[in-house]
Amino acid sequence: MTWVQAMVLAVLQGASELFPISSLGHTVLVPALLHWQFDRRDPSFLSFVVALHLGTAVALIVFYRADWVRIVRALLASVARGKLSADPDEHVAWLLVVGTVPVALLGVFLENPVRALFGSSALVAGFLICNAFVMFAGEALRRRTVAGAAAPQTLALFPWADGAKVGLAQAAALLPGISRSGSSIVAALLLRLDHADAARFSFLLATPVIFAASALEVPKLFAPSASGVLGQAAAGCVVAAFTAYASVAFLTRWFHSHDLRPFGWYCFTFGAICLALALAKVIS
Amino acid sequence: MKALALALAALFFVIAILYGTGVLQLGAHEPGPHVKHAVLFALLGVLSLVWVRFQAKSSPASLR
Repeated sequence: MTWVQAMVLAVLQGASELFPISSLGHTVLVPALLHWQFDRRDPSFLSFVVALHLGTAVALIVFYRADWVRIVRALLASVARGKLSADPDEHVAWLLVVGTVPVALLGVFLENPVRALFGSSALVAGFLICNAFVMFAGEALRRRTVAGAAAPQTLALFPWADGAKVGLAQAAALLPGISRSGSSIVAALLLRLDHADAARFSFLLATPVIFAASALEVPKLFAPSASGVLGQAAAGCVVAAFTAYASVAFLTRWFHSHDLRPFGWYCFTFGAICLALALAKVIS
Repeated sequence: MKALALALAALFFVIAILYGTGVLQLGAHEPGPHVKHAVLFALLGVLSLVWVRFQAKSSPASLR
């Protein structure tokens, strides 16, 4: 892997992890389009990927640092008290716990088998098109719900079961091409959160999973096999962190007045082009 | 419910130890100790203990 390739992958990871366009799908399809040959099971490449995820997680923590301080404080206070209170931060804290458990269980047990099954560009492109339709359908159903005059939901009053459902929806992102943020935002929209709250909940929910998954793999960075990519991993971590920070800053503003459809159109177009190229055997 | 929560906590901690020492290989990708599995079950054990604490102090009406 050259430095240019490493930095392109870092920017790609930082942006596509948070935009609802599937980071995993892009890290399969973009190198395939550029005819970059990587052995995805090579320990040095895995170490590099760990560093990129760590950078993304750090960016999310820094962006939502004030929220995290309040959430962690409220969570610890409720544990110390042994009782739930009406504090909205405490409610969000336990929603995040409830939402994280299903995706953590499914991720730990299913990540490797699922990814081994769906490695080809054609399948990933197909799932990217599915991701587009999930967003289109989500927005259409959301508009119908709003038109039906159902009362909007707020995060501070979001039921526990709905928090678990949004967490479960994240697990769809185990399929390369399906976006973690896209699936969780769509689930939250269907459960009557508005776009801004749905995006905030999705990003907060993604943080512990991305951070824990990458932090547990940090020892891989110091394995002898990773010594050749340590510089690229460090630089990639920083670049991914800055890109992810810019992405989440942009997206939180975007979802105050826009919806998911532009990302759906992007996924549909990019997925269709990649699928056509894969079927024509231009990419593998 | 408190007994169930305690039993779950004990079960999760045992599973965490078994994964951490590499004795349990269920659902694992490669042989050997499985840190991710162990940490996950240890956290589930901690959550079960928190549940025990909540059972002791909160009334059912406070849980939505």
